[in-house]
Amino acid sequence: MPTGTRAKPGVKDEDAELIRAINAGEGHRFQQLVEKYQQKLFNFGLRMCGEARDAEDMVQEAFLNAFRYLEGFRFETRFRNWLYRVAMSACLKTKRKARATRAETLSLEDFFPEDPAAMPEDVPSWARLPLERVLSAETSRYLQEAILDLPADHRSVLVLRDMEGLSTAETAQVLEITPANVKVRLHRARLFLRSRLKEHFEHAP
Amino acid sequence: MPPEPHDHEVCRALFARLSELIDRELTPAQSRRFERHLRACRHCQVCAETLRRTVELCRRAGESPVSGGLARRLQAMARRLTAAGGPPTAD
Repeated sequence: MPTGTRAKPGVKDEDAELIRAINAGEGHRFQQLVEKYQQKLFNFGLRMCGEARDAEDMVQEAFLNAFRYLEGFRFETRFRNWLYRVAMSACLKTKRKARATRAETLSLEDFFPEDPAAMPEDVPSWARLPLERVLSAETSRYLQEAILDLPADHRSVLVLRDMEGLSTAETAQVLEITPANVKVRLHRARLFLRSRLKEHFEHAP
Repeated sequence: MPPEPHDHEVCRALFARLSELIDRELTPAQSRRFERHLRACRHCQVCAETLRRTVELCRRAGESPVSGGLARRLQAMARRLTAAGGPPTAD
């Protein structure tokens, strides 16, 4: 179970006081952690698993394990990041596995244009117009589907970095990979999504 | 200043590190080199802007609310777990 041993001690953590209180005997305050993070974890689960039932199972499993191992939390990483790591483990254990991904691996070469001269010279409208005009419920749904088609090891990086807002270093810590690896996977995942969004907008009525 | 001649090698190098440029994770010297190239290369501008927009769309994707059922189950679970006091010692 994660203990956050790779980070430097003394990380500033807005949850530290609450966790110390829980570990000191105010167990009833665990409810506050649940209320604070249930929405985040549920959406993390949805993005990772794709199915609401799987996400719900994952959230329950994650909080159960968080409670079980909270006393072992050493404040060497932010509690939020530790919780993501617990959630990631729960995700992998969820019985109903996420659907098989379309791509098993992603290579940079797959996305580099074969003939750059044939590429458009004008920025397409979906990348040029104000974001509010481009971001619709349909686009969000399409994006979520495309994210689920990413290989799992790329999807976790993209979700943590671009959707949950973790830094490269925090993502590396949660996933126990190097920051260089985070950057490589993130870039390929973004290129994959860009290619899917391009298709989506080109075929939009 | 006249535009820099199109340099396919720089295009390729930029393409490999475009996310780091967007995330401001390059050194100032690397950023300056790529920014200079971007000003001169329309193809790379398209590449950069479409990738930047992809990231923005991910960051702005909405969240789904937790269902009432799940919230109640979590609440009941937390109550059950904490009925005996603090968390058990992690072995």
